[in-house]
Amino acid sequence: MRLQNYGFRNFVGCGFGILLPMSGPVKMVGLSLGEKHFIKGGIDQNIRSDGRKRDYYRPIFVETGVIPQANGSARVRMGATEVIASVKAELGKPSALHPDKGKVVIFVDCSAVAEPTFEGRGGEELSAELSVALERCLLGGTSGAGAGIDLTSLIVAEGKICWDLYIDSLVISSDGNLLDALGASIKAALANTAIPKVNISAAASADEQPEVDISDEEFLQFDTSAVPVIITLTQVGRHYIVDATSEEESHMSSAVSISVNRKGHVCGLTKRGGEGLDPSVVSDMISVAQHLSELLMSRLDSEISAAEAEIGDDEES
Amino acid sequence: MEFVNPEGLRLDGRRPMEMRQLRAEIGAVARADGSAVFEMGNTKVIAAVYGPREVQNKSQQSNDQALVRCEYTMANFSTGDRKRKPKGDRRSTEISLVIRQTMEACILTHLMPRSQIDIYVQVLQADGGTRSACINAATLALADAGIPMRDLVTSCSSGYLNSTPLLDLNYLEDSAGGPDVTVGFLPKLDRVTLLQMDAKLPVDIVENVMQLAIEGCKAIATYIREVLLENTKQLEYRRGL
Repeated sequence: MRLQNYGFRNFVGCGFGILLPMSGPVKMVGLSLGEKHFIKGGIDQNIRSDGRKRDYYRPIFVETGVIPQANGSARVRMGATEVIASVKAELGKPSALHPDKGKVVIFVDCSAVAEPTFEGRGGEELSAELSVALERCLLGGTSGAGAGIDLTSLIVAEGKICWDLYIDSLVISSDGNLLDALGASIKAALANTAIPKVNISAAASADEQPEVDISDEEFLQFDTSAVPVIITLTQVGRHYIVDATSEEESHMSSAVSISVNRKGHVCGLTKRGGEGLDPSVVSDMISVAQHLSELLMSRLDSEISAAEAEIGDDEES
Repeated sequence: MEFVNPEGLRLDGRRPMEMRQLRAEIGAVARADGSAVFEMGNTKVIAAVYGPREVQNKSQQSNDQALVRCEYTMANFSTGDRKRKPKGDRRSTEISLVIRQTMEACILTHLMPRSQIDIYVQVLQADGGTRSACINAATLALADAGIPMRDLVTSCSSGYLNSTPLLDLNYLEDSAGGPDVTVGFLPKLDRVTLLQMDAKLPVDIVENVMQLAIEGCKAIATYIREVLLENTKQLEYRRGL
C-alpha cells in the first residue's frame, strides 16, 4: 500500500453540513481504520509492523566516495529510505562578523524519484524544513557557538580566505525518518571529505588578498569526531518509536528530533507535529535519545570505517 | 586540441567506435512501480516510474489514452561546478519534453485510458550523454513497472572531431564545439524515434555519423535485453519456479 505524510489537514464544509477532511498534498490511498488500529496496537505492545521493537533501527548501509568529483560523498540506506550527500569545498571570504570561521551551507533536495508529490516545486517545503533542521542540529547558533562542525578548522588566512563547504543532499527514496538518514549521510560524507592543503604566499599586506596555491597532492581529512547524530522519536498513541517508516509517520501525533554528540551532549532539538507534549515526556525523550545515540553512533562509525576501508582496498588492488 | 591522437585513441583511451562501459541496475527505488539506475561511463542516472495511476489533474485526462509525464532534474553535485538550481531551467524543461515524447511514442497508451504514467529522471553524475542515459534508464524503469511498450527505446550519441566520427561522447568531447548527434532508436522495429543534432556537419558525413549512433543504440539494446532477462530469472528464482 502507498501512503503519504499528511502535511496539515484542512477541513472543508460541504453542503450537507458534514465536515470532509481535505488533505494538503494530493496522495494515493490512505490507511483504513483497521490498519491504523493494527499499527497503534502493535506499537503499544512493542511489536511494530516489520517486527522491530520500539527502539530498534532498520538495517543501515553506508557507502562512501560515491560522487568522485566531490570532495567527499556518501550514500546511506536505512531500510527503504535512501539519501546521497556530497560535500564540495570552495575557497571564499569569511564573513566580517566571524573572521576566524569558515562557512558551511546545507541544502537538501527532495527528488521526484522518491515521491511523485515532490515533482516541480512540490518538494520545496519539505526540503526547506529539512535543510533548516539540519543546520540547526549541526551548525549550532547564529554566533556559531556549539557547532558540531568545527568552523575554525576551515580558515586558511584569517579575515581573508576560508573554505566554504557546500553540503548537498539528495533524497532518492523516502520511507520515513528522513532527518536521521540525512544526518547520518552528512556525517559519513564529512568523514570521507578530503580538503586540499593550501599554501599561502607569505608577506602579503593587510589589505591585499594573498596568493593561494591549492595542492593537488596533499589532503587533510576532515575531523568528524564532534559531528552529532540525529535521533528522531515519533510519538504514536501513548508510546514513542525510533526510526519510523512513512506508514507509522502518517499518524504520528508529534515527533522530536534530537541531535546528540559523542559526549552525550544535546546539540539541537526540533519538535514537529500538531499535538502538544508534556514537558516530562520531552525530558524523557531526551534521555532515551542520549542512550540510543551511543548505539547509533557506534553503528555508524563501524559502517563508515568499513566503507572507507573498502575504498582503500579498491585503490590498492 | 587533439581529441583523437595519431594512434587513434581518444582522450579517455577509447577507440573512435568504442562505447563507454555500461552498467544497469533494476529496482533501485523500492517505493516506485518501476525504477532503474543506468551508467554510461561516468554518467549516472536514476529513473523512477509511477503508474499507471489515477490522473491528478482531471483537465488533462484523456478518454482514449494514458497521459505520459516526465521530469528531468540534475542533482546539485552532478556537474563539476555546483549547480544552484536543480530544476526548472530551460535545458531541463527541454530534455523533459524530449524524453516524454520519445517514451510516449513507444508506450501502448491506448491500453490504459484515463490514467497517468509519471517518469522521473534524476542525473546523479553528468559526464556527457545525459539525454541518452536518461532515455535508456527510462526504458528499463518502464519495463520494470510492467508497462506495455511497442519496443525498447535505446539512445546513444555520436560526434565528429578531428575528421573522425566518434561514438558516445563524454563531456570534454561534447563541449569541444563539434557536432553532437543524439539518436533514439527502436531496435526490433528498426525505426529512429529521436534525432537531434547541434553545430555544423558536412552533408556527406551526416549519414555516417547517424549510422554510427544507431549501431551504438543496437549495442545498448542488446545489453538492456540481457539485463532484463537476468532480472526476470532472479524473479523466477525468488518465486521458486
